[in-house]
Amino acid sequence: MNRGLTLFVGILATFTLAWAGLVLIPYLQFGRVTDYVSEETGQTLPPPMSGLAQRGHEVYAAEGCVYCHSQQVRGESQGSDLARGWGVRRTVARDYIGERPHFLGTMRTGPDLSNIGRRQSSVEWHHKHLYRPQSVSPGSVMPPFRFLYSLRKIVGEPSADALKLDGLDAPPPGWEVVPTPDAKALVAYLLSLDRSYPLPEAPTE
Amino acid sequence: MTFTLVALFIVVVAFTAIAIGAFGWAAKTGQFHGLEAGARSIFDTDEPIGRPTDHFPERGRKSKASV
Amino acid sequence: MTSPSSSSSPKGPKAALADALDRAAIDASCRLPVLLFFGSAIAWLLVGSVFALLAAIKLTTPEFLADHAWLTFGRVRPAHLNAVAYGWSSTAAIGVAIWLMARLCRVPLRHARILVAAAVLWNLGVAIGVTAILAGASNAIEWLEFPTYAAFILFVSYAFIAVWAVLMFRERRPGHVYVSQWYIFGAFFWFPWLYSVVNSMLVFWPVQGSVQAIINWWFGHNVLGLWFTPIALASTYYMIPKILGKPIHSYYLSILGFWSLALFYSWNGGHHLLGGPIPAWLQSASIVASVMMLIPVITTAINFHMTMRGSFALLRTSPALRFTVFGAMCYTVVSAQGSSMALRSLNKLTHFTHYTIGHAHLGMYAFFTMTMFGAMYYITPRLVRWEWPSAFLIKAHFWLASTGILLMVVSLTLGGLIQGIELENPKVPFLTIVAHTIPWLHARSWSGALLTTGHLAFALSFVLILLRTGKQREGPTLFTKERSFP
Ligand code: HEC
Repeated sequence: MNRGLTLFVGILATFTLAWAGLVLIPYLQFGRVTDYVSEETGQTLPPPMSGLAQRGHEVYAAEGCVYCHSQQVRGESQGSDLARGWGVRRTVARDYIGERPHFLGTMRTGPDLSNIGRRQSSVEWHHKHLYRPQSVSPGSVMPPFRFLYSLRKIVGEPSADALKLDGLDAPPPGWEVVPTPDAKALVAYLLSLDRSYPLPEAPTE
Repeated sequence: MTFTLVALFIVVVAFTAIAIGAFGWAAKTGQFHGLEAGARSIFDTDEPIGRPTDHFPERGRKSKASV
Repeated sequence: MTSPSSSSSPKGPKAALADALDRAAIDASCRLPVLLFFGSAIAWLLVGSVFALLAAIKLTTPEFLADHAWLTFGRVRPAHLNAVAYGWSSTAAIGVAIWLMARLCRVPLRHARILVAAAVLWNLGVAIGVTAILAGASNAIEWLEFPTYAAFILFVSYAFIAVWAVLMFRERRPGHVYVSQWYIFGAFFWFPWLYSVVNSMLVFWPVQGSVQAIINWWFGHNVLGLWFTPIALASTYYMIPKILGKPIHSYYLSILGFWSLALFYSWNGGHHLLGGPIPAWLQSASIVASVMMLIPVITTAINFHMTMRGSFALLRTSPALRFTVFGAMCYTVVSAQGSSMALRSLNKLTHFTHYTIGHAHLGMYAFFTMTMFGAMYYITPRLVRWEWPSAFLIKAHFWLASTGILLMVVSLTLGGLIQGIELENPKVPFLTIVAHTIPWLHARSWSGALLTTGHLAFALSFVLILLRTGKQREGPTLFTKERSFP
């Protein structure tokens, strides 16, 4: 007796069904959502990412920020994301159209970063925080990213972008800590994270 | 878009039909008969039903003698 | 000299001897490929454990080894996941599946060369992939961190294995197709499909934004449900009856379980994104399917329980059974927990917290990994034709693994619940929540130490049995020692 065929057809069929439902239909439904040009301001939404921010997006991927930070704001009925001030509206599919890969995330060991550029817009703060998170957030478990900065001897004038570090982190006299291009790109990316613009499907009132 | 969705719907219906058909065929042609024989197919005359086949190393000799 | 086994068989010693020789020939034919998969799986288990410990310590002590880019938390954590998912779990699963296929097809394994090539490629792929993650070349897509070049090697290796499985199945001796084979077939068919679809839709030609997330979790969940779970169940459906010497309670239920698993599991993925930027109907469909999962799980649980009934005493004497039954029980628990976590009211609390991590370890360790340990304890002596050298090491392994995983799941579950409840209350400052999770994360690090010690005991056992140390004993694994082998 040969059950091989029954097995094969059954295995194929059950799976195809789910594949169509969970992959193909969402793809057809959402795969071609395009950006939206606001009628009032003429602005393209979501705003396109700058080249530097795009580079920062890659650093975010390489350093695995996504394992501790989500980038999705759930609606009022599903969690307290809005009440925590992580956004002014829930995020929708259109917010993510330019992102490859997606950083929706599954963990909130750290806060949601969907709107961090709006919440914390100081370049200096971000550099200080990345250099040693505990210096600005005591008790944080976020790892330091000192390897994204270089310590170098000051020759002539100090660099304009040198970090203003004090206490524990201060470099020895005559030395300075400057961000590498990766660190600069990462901060540019963080500052670009602002999903508070209104969309037809997600008004901000 | 609507066309693709309709096409997709047909595909899905077709697969479900195939699955149901295959199940019906299997049931009718006796693929589900003799199920208990299936359950017994992993035993043989050397390791028959009723003989446990695994022990901790030290206990090997003792339990074997008691079988 | 006739052994006791032949005297008790109904068809007399001749038939029993023939069966025993057949079985021994099948086992011997599997030796090289299966031991290759087992050995490399155990090596990856140790590597994965080291990454796990590093990641766990870093989560409570962020300054620990912080100045090496290669060892930052965001790289070590995915290195851990991939080393244990592709290095340990998949490799172990393939080894167990190969042996089961040969035994259930009732013919000696053929085309071993295909499998050896597959094993070498698989390990190469995992090694390249893990190194790439540490070097910062990860895709940063959970469960799919391996860059294309590593994923491609895995895919080729897998294609070899699937082709081998089809060849083997066609050359099988006629007779019943046992339910374990159904599961193995399903798994061997589903995994390459899943893996190639997601790699093409997320990595080669990435689709847009949040559709990526849907596909990501469709994969992330199915790789558990349609790859690891079926292989573990295939093993359990063979091991429990075979070790007890008792047919499965209801063969019918086992087949019902198979089809309902295939049907419902594949729809579950969306529950990882509840409340997220994905269509509402998809979230609802995933919730329904997740709850429907209770059908295959309860039928399976009843079936295993009824088979075990009256034989629980054997848990004391059989290491393979002890690990397997532990795994089977945890399958029920983890699945029921999974169904409950898909309900919106609970999901609201547990989503984004350590609770989910606890759930994942209950599934991948307490269920899957323990089942694989059980299978390896049964299979390896039959391949090496040597008894496990030390009962102490086996017992140490079992107790370290079981208490370790219990401690881990309990601490992450409680810590995660507290975290979820506090996150839900916007008045609790974020850093307070961080502080409240730390004691639970310390407990998790300790549980990791227990597990790792257990893995060392297991690895030592495995090396010792390969070297055939200890005195030759006359246990059930050497069931035909006194007969001469060809
Ligand atoms: C081990 C988990 C972890 C990793 C990995 C991690 N973070 Fe964090 N992050 C945290 C925690 C916890 C906080 C909250 C405390 C604080 O401000 O440091 C936080 C806070 C932040 C904040 C401030 C958020 C706010 O609302 O004030 C930013 C910005 C941030 N992280 C960016 C990053 C970036 C960029 C990366 C990757 C390079 C990263 N994090 C990696 C855990 C992590």
